[in-house]
Amino acid sequence: MLDTHPSDRLAAYLDGELPDIERNRVEAHLGTCARCRHALELVRSGRTALQHLPIASAPDAIWSAIETSADFRTRRPPAVSLVWRLAAAVLVLGIAASVYRIWSTRNVTSWQVMALQGSPVAGSRRLSGGESVPSGKWLETDASSRARIVVGSIGSVTLEPNSRVRLLSTDASGHRLALGAGGIQASISAPPRLFFVETPAGTAIDLGCEYQLHCDRNGTGMLRVTSGWVALEWKGRESLVPAGASCRMYAGRGPGIPWFEDAGDGFLRALGDFETHRGESLDRILAEARTRDTLTLWHLLSRVEAGDRVRVFDRMATLAPLPPGLLRDRVLELDTQSLKKWREELAWTW
Amino acid sequence: MSKFILCLICLGIASAEDLVIQFASPVAAQSYQFKKSAFVFRTLGCPSDVKPEVSATAEGLVDGQRQSVSLKVTAVQASAGNVFAIFREWSNQGVWIVSVKAHCGGKSAGVLVATDAQGIVRESSTVLNHPATEKEIENSLRSGKKPRGPAD
Amino acid sequence: MVYDAYKDQVYSIALYYFHGNASVASDVTQQVFLKLMKDFHNFRGESAFSTWLYRLVVNTCIDTGRQADARVVSMEPHMSEMVATPGSQEDDAAQNQMAKSVQSAVSALPPAFRAAILLRYFEDLSYEEMARILNCSIGTVASRLSRGHRLLAEKLSNLNSRLGGKER
Repeated sequence: MLDTHPSDRLAAYLDGELPDIERNRVEAHLGTCARCRHALELVRSGRTALQHLPIASAPDAIWSAIETSADFRTRRPPAVSLVWRLAAAVLVLGIAASVYRIWSTRNVTSWQVMALQGSPVAGSRRLSGGESVPSGKWLETDASSRARIVVGSIGSVTLEPNSRVRLLSTDASGHRLALGAGGIQASISAPPRLFFVETPAGTAIDLGCEYQLHCDRNGTGMLRVTSGWVALEWKGRESLVPAGASCRMYAGRGPGIPWFEDAGDGFLRALGDFETHRGESLDRILAEARTRDTLTLWHLLSRVEAGDRVRVFDRMATLAPLPPGLLRDRVLELDTQSLKKWREELAWTW
Repeated sequence: MSKFILCLICLGIASAEDLVIQFASPVAAQSYQFKKSAFVFRTLGCPSDVKPEVSATAEGLVDGQRQSVSLKVTAVQASAGNVFAIFREWSNQGVWIVSVKAHCGGKSAGVLVATDAQGIVRESSTVLNHPATEKEIENSLRSGKKPRGPAD
Repeated sequence: MVYDAYKDQVYSIALYYFHGNASVASDVTQQVFLKLMKDFHNFRGESAFSTWLYRLVVNTCIDTGRQADARVVSMEPHMSEMVATPGSQEDDAAQNQMAKSVQSAVSALPPAFRAAILLRYFEDLSYEEMARILNCSIGTVASRLSRGHRLLAEKLSNLNSRLGGKER
């Protein structure tokens, strides 16, 4: 039992931030102390009260002020005439890109990389801490090393042991890496399509997510998404992989068909056979599919012949009816907008 | 006459669309800002000129003790329709279920959403045509399936 | 990009830290992002980007608080800036009144409690992250949150019956 009242730990208790032993002690104490139970209710009430504080929208004027201030701080020399200042202001205002993007292109020929473990190699140099590595260099880890790559201001990538990645471009339009072999874990928090990872079997396009990507030197690999979405693209072939799903990538063929990791064994075997052209597997895929497997079936629509497409569509429609306003014929014609709309609606069943 | 009455009844049924709460993983919101939410939900069946009133609580059973946490419900502005996000505000200990309630134009609906480390657990969740009662919450907590194991 | 992703959270923290003073909140927000742009090349990735950003926010609030005499002002000037959320029209007035009361109660909290509560509420940061941002121990974070929430509830005790899980 606690000798003193745990009043300073009640918020941590409610937030699940206490170690198990301490949490158990607090709970035991609460069972016998009415004063602390009352205090707990007060803390809980305080938390509830905050729900009435709405998030406020930052006024547009703030950005205008930032643009103006940043322009004068970053572009002019210490002593400058009024004419030069006005000319600089007009120049900036005349450019379509925002000041933030201009700033982010000034010094974007290098990446910030740090060794997390061991001594990763960048180019021909061994890293021992945090360093700036020029674009174009390869970053490699051995069995006992790992590295972290800062992706602009939108997130980071961890390079796993026995991996190599090439640091391509990094600027306002996006940040690109090329995964040669091994694996990365990416954690990106930004609007979509700002972070790209190229592999021989396709490019992983971040759509606001966290994921793991592995590939061998031939480009065959696997993508596993734990948060958000990732798009895999290769020569016009695209696979969209949401959280909880995985997708294989094949050298010379691009992205495979994604599946949810909790799909049934029979379904996954049939899908594996389909992807490796073994036997008549489409019937088994359709027979074993659950509602959630419409993720896989949706991708199959554009990967099968027209005759099989009708069967895939019909099975999908029994699992998740076509939304109002969408036409069967348009979907079977692989109309882009129709397919996109159906996928957005299907996401509510995944 | 009976056919006339039948038609009236059919029209009545056709026009009185039930209020339904549909829930899904965060990707359904189509908005990267909500990727960290526990799940998202939307209301269907609300007249277009009426805003639904929604609320949510996390109902838990921790070491045999019932706990209840009021949750912040955030509107997803980027999505069409009435779409909302719930972020995790409950403990990792014990068994929890989220009770979502919606009211609109005199109609009500509810849903009990089970989640684990990998996201929503549909098999353990229940869609209702009314806000969940305490009994339904208790039954759900005491009979819910065990959470899936940690992701490898 | 970064500005769009974080501007509302940064502005909201500053707004409620400075008693609903939109003018001071705008100045603080501007200062934070200007410092961010100026010092970004020094960011080495030792901490999460959000840790670095919110440390800037807290320090700027503290520095501004020391320099300015932030007075409690009415919430009215910034109510129109709130992100629109669905809700029945007849509840708007009640919601506004409740929000006003809560905001006044938050404003009356000691600065250290206010900062901790606003960081936790608007950004849902872990205690470990908050300790790094606030440059204190995890135990201190826990203490500030516990005491801050309790003080908040005591100040709002006359409204307890109206508080509950409502949509924002």
